[in-house]
Amino acid sequence: MIAARPRRSRPSRLPIFLLLAVLLPLLLMPLAAVYIFAGRGGLPAFQQAIADPDAQFAIRFSLLIALSTAVVNGVLGTLAAYVLSKYRFRGREALTVIVNLPVAIPTVVVGTSLLLLWGPIGLLGKFLDPLGIQPMFAPLGVLLAHLFVTFPYMLGAVKPVLDELESTYEEAAYTIGASRWQTFRYVILPALRGGLFSGALLTFAHSLGEFGATVLVSGNLRLRTQTAPLFIFAQFEAGNIENANAVAAVLATLSFLLFFTLLRVTQRERPEGV
Amino acid sequence: MSIVLTELTKNFGDHVVVNHVSLEVHDGEFFVLLGGSGAGKSTVLRMIAGLTEPDSGKIELNGRDVTFLPPQERNTGFVFQNYSIFRHMTAAENVEFGLRIRHVAASERRRRSAELLELVGLAGLGNRFPHQLSGGQQQRVAIARALAQGPAVFLLDEPFGALDVKIRVQLRQSLKEIQHRLGVTTIQVTHDQEEAFELADRIGIVERGTLVEVGTAEALYHRPRSEFAATFIGGGNVLVGRAEAGHIRLGGATLPFTPDSPAHEEGAPVRVLFRPETVRLQQDRFDPGGPVQTLARGQVRDRLFAGPIQRVRLDVDGLQGVRPITPPPAYGQRTTQIDSIQPSDAPGALFTPGQSLWIGVEAYHILEPTGLKLLICCDDTPGGAAASEFGCRLAHAAGGPASLLTVVGAAEGVAQARDRMEELRRRTCGQHPMIHTRVRQGQTSAEILLEAQEGSFEVAILGRRSDDSEPALGATATRLLEQSDVPLLFVTSPRWPIRRVLICTAGGEPGKANILLGGRLARRTQAEATVLSVYPLRPATGQVARATRHVEEAQATLEAQGVRCQKRLESRDNAAACILEEAESGDYDLIVIGAPRPHDRRRGRRNEVVFRVAEATNRPLLVVPVVT
Repeated sequence: MIAARPRRSRPSRLPIFLLLAVLLPLLLMPLAAVYIFAGRGGLPAFQQAIADPDAQFAIRFSLLIALSTAVVNGVLGTLAAYVLSKYRFRGREALTVIVNLPVAIPTVVVGTSLLLLWGPIGLLGKFLDPLGIQPMFAPLGVLLAHLFVTFPYMLGAVKPVLDELESTYEEAAYTIGASRWQTFRYVILPALRGGLFSGALLTFAHSLGEFGATVLVSGNLRLRTQTAPLFIFAQFEAGNIENANAVAAVLATLSFLLFFTLLRVTQRERPEGV
Repeated sequence: MSIVLTELTKNFGDHVVVNHVSLEVHDGEFFVLLGGSGAGKSTVLRMIAGLTEPDSGKIELNGRDVTFLPPQERNTGFVFQNYSIFRHMTAAENVEFGLRIRHVAASERRRRSAELLELVGLAGLGNRFPHQLSGGQQQRVAIARALAQGPAVFLLDEPFGALDVKIRVQLRQSLKEIQHRLGVTTIQVTHDQEEAFELADRIGIVERGTLVEVGTAEALYHRPRSEFAATFIGGGNVLVGRAEAGHIRLGGATLPFTPDSPAHEEGAPVRVLFRPETVRLQQDRFDPGGPVQTLARGQVRDRLFAGPIQRVRLDVDGLQGVRPITPPPAYGQRTTQIDSIQPSDAPGALFTPGQSLWIGVEAYHILEPTGLKLLICCDDTPGGAAASEFGCRLAHAAGGPASLLTVVGAAEGVAQARDRMEELRRRTCGQHPMIHTRVRQGQTSAEILLEAQEGSFEVAILGRRSDDSEPALGATATRLLEQSDVPLLFVTSPRWPIRRVLICTAGGEPGKANILLGGRLARRTQAEATVLSVYPLRPATGQVARATRHVEEAQATLEAQGVRCQKRLESRDNAAACILEEAESGDYDLIVIGAPRPHDRRRGRRNEVVFRVAEATNRPLLVVPVVT
């Protein structure tokens, strides 16, 4: 007797459709809406909205703050990652938790805390105020807020790479004759390339979109401390939907570009690590 | 002398990882440190390279004291087990790295890296990145990189550990050639004996942080001095016999000492090593005057055909009084096993399991005597503290190895006990390098007996309660007295030094073992001995003459060993009381007494002299099982 050939049951495609059905209104359609609304008035309207000095300032200011944040946190985050990964000291565990804390704290709370520290009546601010130093409601305040909020991203990208790097990697360089600095510069840093780049991009992207903390510490002063997200919010509230949409579209496009670059980088780095 | 290490020591926390290692490696020599994992061999290598700082000791490279120099200034080449080549650099860039750091011109760098890559067999692969190379190739790059700046010494830490066997063999050959061609002084660390044999000019065997033995592969294989070297290198049979009248007594067989044998005291254990390939098997006895010494008759246990050879393992029943060290006796097994290697063209039928054959050895080697090997049993009681203190002093005087043993119950923490023992060892024994600690779990007396047997200890030292009113025997002590094949030394207080030893040969038939062991102890502690024999008031015919002769012989033997010795003959019905009186009046520091072997001992034990003496005295008491 010939045994009946077992029928291969094809896995149902239903879960895929379900997922798409949920994602469409949840993620994809809102993104599309930004571009549709931004393009509705045609190219001239879009150009005009973008050419607005306030909009121009907001975009430039956002890019500048994001770049500064990425640079400063790039250095600080790498230092933190190196120390937390290669040194064993008391309180290391606690410090690891603390430096990762900003991910968990609501950004509005971050804004409030910064105001309570550096503001004119804040813990430190009240001593600075008589000296004429006012970090809050100024570009410096925005930078401080962004540094705080994005601190863990660099750490998160660099520390795993460092953890994976065996201690013999550095020791090999030492026995060859390289000093500590040379070892860091020529051996450790190049090995961190991928992590550094993706960490910096992540920091940049998050800084570009930061709202909660920024809105509190900046005072939302146009042409002084207004970032792109704040500009969009202000324009919406004032009823200038087109202006808001145009800048939103620019912001979204920038974010997409960053995101895809990041994706490419991480994919390229992976096979080398194996 | 390229590398000179002096008394190098390193502790990690409480753990001694490297223990007073001294070593000299000659110019251009290929030296291999061989040892099990965790033996401390890698730490030695890392200290030479400056990657780990020694706690004490000195490191000289080419006559320069580098003990406290950073790794950058030592000019060593180091190869790690995990390659650790820089993954963002090509093979050539890796090799050139050290030269780039030293600002060597690019053209010179390129010439040198091409030369080295060719030397390690990677010509033309300089532009490859590490992830484009196999593990073996990556390690070749690491070797080239370590050699690029012309290091004074070349250090390799298990360089082939992560590679598969075939690649390992190839790489080994390349390494040997490269080392030979460059003539660079090299130390390699490995746990692989075959690798050590193939590469090394000399081998150093490391165990528990101590450099046990150094020698050429041939010397270590054929003529090792220590038991560890004998059992760690190569397969082999190590049996412990006894020195008797200038010969080695090995059960029923008597072997002559070989000309190169180290001197043994009369009655001391003799450890005989014979390699499986020197074992001869045949159905008839071997000629008495021939080249093959008859050992015993045994049964074939199993046979393994392995191509060029066949391995035959035999069970031997008739080796009474012989302790096998290797092959280690299986749990619950009474017979001694002997490993042999036979030519593979020998008729297989001869070696069918169960077949009875004569076993002979064509060549054997005698290991260095260790001095007395002591097992010191400690616990938290005052008696235990006395045992550890007395034991450490005795170990020091006897110059032999010792183990501090504690037995914990099934519910107790082994790790805690281990810490406690390390602490105790440090407190009582200081830095004595040959004293180790041991923790076992289970029933106290059974574990002590097992440890004594497995470690082939010569004396087990036990603490006892020291109530002045009644020095009664505890349950553990009683059980050990009933069951032990190993001499037991009971102490109630760390009475030291030992000046006078009372050796009693009262109980039953006169034995030799107690006199010989008592004599060895007396000699090592420079004590004087008294041999005491007690016979009944109404002796049987010939008993007095026998006792007199025995005491005289004992005195002669002890004096031949260099022990000052007196003899005493007493006529009393109560031997135990006589011994106790003599012990008190002469204020002896140690009483040595023979006891029947365990299976004869249990019957009517209350009346036995041993038990009566043990229960009544507070002085250190050594009970020696006597073969009658």
